[in-house]
Amino acid sequence: MGKEPTMVRRGQDGAERAGTILVVDDNEINRAVLVNLFSGTYQVEEAGDGREALDKLLADRDAYCAVLLDVVMPVMDGMEVLEELFRRGWTRELAVFLITAESANSTLRRAYELGVMDVISKPVVPYIVERRIDSVIELFRARRRLRQRVEEQQSEILRQAGQIIELNMGMIEALSTAIEFRSGESGSHVRRIHDITRYLLEHTELGAGFSQEEITQISLAAIMHDVGKIAIPDAILNKPGRLTPEEYEIMKTHTVQGGVLLEKIPQMRDHAAFRYAYDIALHHHERWDGRGYPHGLKGDEISIWSQIVSIADVYDALVSSRVYKKAFPIDQALAMIQNGECGIFNPRLVACFLEAEPGIRRQIYGVEGEGT
Amino acid sequence: MTDGTKAALTGAGIQVDEALERLMGSEALLERLLGKFLEDRNLAELTVALAEDRREDAFRAAHTLKGVCGNLSMTRLEALVSQMVELLRGEGELAAAQALLPEVTEACREVREAISGALS
Repeated sequence: MGKEPTMVRRGQDGAERAGTILVVDDNEINRAVLVNLFSGTYQVEEAGDGREALDKLLADRDAYCAVLLDVVMPVMDGMEVLEELFRRGWTRELAVFLITAESANSTLRRAYELGVMDVISKPVVPYIVERRIDSVIELFRARRRLRQRVEEQQSEILRQAGQIIELNMGMIEALSTAIEFRSGESGSHVRRIHDITRYLLEHTELGAGFSQEEITQISLAAIMHDVGKIAIPDAILNKPGRLTPEEYEIMKTHTVQGGVLLEKIPQMRDHAAFRYAYDIALHHHERWDGRGYPHGLKGDEISIWSQIVSIADVYDALVSSRVYKKAFPIDQALAMIQNGECGIFNPRLVACFLEAEPGIRRQIYGVEGEGT
Repeated sequence: MTDGTKAALTGAGIQVDEALERLMGSEALLERLLGKFLEDRNLAELTVALAEDRREDAFRAAHTLKGVCGNLSMTRLEALVSQMVELLRGEGELAAAQALLPEVTEACREVREAISGALS
């Protein structure tokens, strides 16, 4: 076909009108009319038949903001181009118009089904064509801008949510550490309970059936296992010698007091971790044989998360040094747990713990090797 | 474009003002496109296709010619070619289309003559 010498022009406000209109018509005169109409405001390219148009679009789809398509053309007609664009899902991204002398109803209906934005009849009336095409191009642009904005805002919201979660966790940790601090525990005790709980859930069969989110919540809840100690008087909490039976009874109430405290904080009650936190505070001193406190729960009556925190608490107490005691050597600590010297645990829990212990020691206590 | 030129074109059934409006007022472009119309092959293709009973090819040529006539506001010719297009659509009425051809050819000749006179 006889193609015009280059008709590709940039509009006076090229930056604003970035994007190219592709005019597809087998007749030079018809193309010239449309090119003349739009070359003031858009870049315009021409194609003499459907095949040529499709080749241009396939080569660089994003360069084009609209396609003005004639219907009756040799080689590949407008409807075939439209079918192909539809099949690729491009009619949602690219504003496609039929510009045609064709008036057959069935053709027009099929065109709309295939996602054509508008059908403009030939001969074109300039201000109508301009207005209709401008508004659709603007619509597509606005849609794209909006989608970008939403994506940006979404990632911003995710980032902020992450910060809030971190802050939340920081506050919970600070509170729990402050309470532990009263009883002479080191600040890192609650952090280690969190880490051991997470490690056991992520690396052993104990975590089977829990989502990553639930594991995060349970680990967070573990931090708060001893918050009830805030209700225990200093004289008992920090008594250097052995507790009298009466004092011991009061000491044991830190479990129930923990539950009461957590229940009284509305933000905590609504928190996804609450059900775990409440249960752990209440039941981390229960025993597998039913001889723990406060409720004397037995076996699987005790939730798996409370069992996990219970063994983590005992282990950390054994291998850490405190003002009143030295750290036990690892081998001895593990033997004490296995022999039931520090409470009776679920055998499956002990097995999982022993399996994971070298990893816990390495990762959480920063200690290498066996039996150190 | 002189008033005489416009009158000659109008006499041949071309709505010059409407065509100019479509071309954003560019007389130079109108003259260039009218010049292109003198070289347009669609009537010749239509004639041959009708003579050889090739309905689909005849339809395509007539359809394109209709679009061109419309864009250049050749009202009278466009009306005739539209009739031709409809006669050739679908199963088609080839005989009726063939019968209409002389009238289309004559109208086209008149338009071309007026253009040649106007552009020279």
